Amino acid sequence: MALLDRSDWYDLTRTTNWTQKYVTEDEFFPEALSGGRGIPNSVWETYDEPYKVSYPEYVETQRAKDAGTYSVKAALERAAFVDSADPGWVSTMQAHYGAIPLGEYVASIGEARMTRFSRAPGNRNMATFGMMDENRHTQLQLFFPHANIKRSPRWDWAHKALRTNEWAAVASRSLFDDIITSRDAISTAIMLTFAFETGFTNMQFLGLAADAAETGDHTFASLISSIQTDESRHSQQGGPALKILLENGRQEEAQQLIDVAIWRSWKLFSVLTGPIMDYYTPVEGRQQSFKEFMFEFIVAQFERQLLDLGLSKPWYWDILMRDLDRTHHSMHMGVWYWRPTVWWKPAAGVDPEQREWLEMKYPGWNKCWGKVWDVITDNLLNGRESLTLPETLPTICNMCNLPIAHVPGDGWDGRDWQLEHEGRIYHFGSEVDRWCFTINPEQYKGHQTVVDRFLAGLIQPATLEGALKYMGLGPEEMGIDAHDYSWIEKFRPTKSAAA
Amino acid sequence: MATFPLHTNFDGDFVVQLVPVDSDDIMDTVAEKCAYHTVGRRVSPQPEKVMRVRKHGVEEFYPRDMKVSDSDLRPTETIDIIFADE
Repeated sequence: MALLDRSDWYDLTRTTNWTQKYVTEDEFFPEALSGGRGIPNSVWETYDEPYKVSYPEYVETQRAKDAGTYSVKAALERAAFVDSADPGWVSTMQAHYGAIPLGEYVASIGEARMTRFSRAPGNRNMATFGMMDENRHTQLQLFFPHANIKRSPRWDWAHKALRTNEWAAVASRSLFDDIITSRDAISTAIMLTFAFETGFTNMQFLGLAADAAETGDHTFASLISSIQTDESRHSQQGGPALKILLENGRQEEAQQLIDVAIWRSWKLFSVLTGPIMDYYTPVEGRQQSFKEFMFEFIVAQFERQLLDLGLSKPWYWDILMRDLDRTHHSMHMGVWYWRPTVWWKPAAGVDPEQREWLEMKYPGWNKCWGKVWDVITDNLLNGRESLTLPETLPTICNMCNLPIAHVPGDGWDGRDWQLEHEGRIYHFGSEVDRWCFTINPEQYKGHQTVVDRFLAGLIQPATLEGALKYMGLGPEEMGIDAHDYSWIEKFRPTKSAAA
Repeated sequence: MATFPLHTNFDGDFVVQLVPVDSDDIMDTVAEKCAYHTVGRRVSPQPEKVMRVRKHGVEEFYPRDMKVSDSDLRPTETIDIIFADE
């Protein structure tokens, strides 16, 4: 029997709305989970997903992708790349594996919410595949690092990180809870798939794949590029949802959801991907700077897509453009200085050659961040390691849950965007973080940062050591300098010559 | 006399930090306690300057001998520590 073309039956079979007999419409699609916003079902049925796929097609394609990725892993495993890789690259993988896999599982929950509760049948259909995509990503990114647990317990943080109170894990959970688990199906389609996945997963899965290939890590490159092929499909769920909101007088709300999600995603990537690309990856493996990747995958893409849809660039776009030159340098400095509080080994990435690269990519770097690294380098050269380690906690932003960091040295612009709300003083790392809070305080006001918990007596003993224990970091897991300070040796001849 | 947690935004440093001081501390002592976590670690000392304390976002410094408990500061507020001529 001849099979019909997919286009002959797809629209009919995926339109699965029906009239419920045993429950009311509101019970079937609770507003808090569905987010129909009073727009009639007949309108949601016009949701037209740009990427159409049937279940057999999906299975066939995914099977081939998995076969390819697992084959590359099996073929290259004996080469034991990780044993000979630059320690900075090993840290890149450990940071990635700790931060991402369970986040993928959370995304699977978001997709499941759309699968069940979206009023748009096309959204439900696409999200079914998205849900399976995210499950695949979780499995892959738990399985791959598992092979390395024999080398170090740091690899086990793929499973562990998001279950702890480690500060970066808290920051990740805060973002994912805000744009995925605490939102209705339509908001999830916009905040997770349109804002987060359209651009930011490109950064992590394509930008980093390019660096991985340059570095010789073909297993990791193959893994994350395979994941991105799924992301680029299911990230298209947000566009049609936005179109319906805009055609039904919800422009302001749609813009706000996008603005919050893009900013919050940017902040997390500034601490996760920025340091990896501009500091951990060996210079010869860097295909572009973090800022250049951000321009390619985020700035250009969002500017085009937002304008095409009839939306505006976020109101803070000029602030974001400015911060592309700044934020991740300070975040990196914070991660390195507070290195015992992370599960990977941060690479300083500031030997003379690397500093030259940073100054070339970010003119003025030496006068600002370089001045701080000068003091740190001098302390290490003179045996004062203790001064390069923290004895207190950084102040944490009540929105992004990351340190309140700014430009140091000659460009110093230290600022804490404080806000008093219902008698409590909140601290924010930027005007935009504070704005996210002010437009929806009920969503955020109860959350306590790691520092708030410390001050509330929830962390005992109330010392840095107590905080490390609270974060779940054992002695073999706490971060140390990735290269055991070998990079400072490159400064000694210069010093001798000067003397 | 009681522990008084403050957040400190130090001239030239890259990060705001939590520093517990004492409500009986005078502002010069507050500056020293904050400097312990920054100067010589990430910011070079400036021995010819004086470290002055002000409420974050305010131009005027507190008097150097003013006690924390006599100021308008509240626990967990942010202060600036600035290298000044006097």
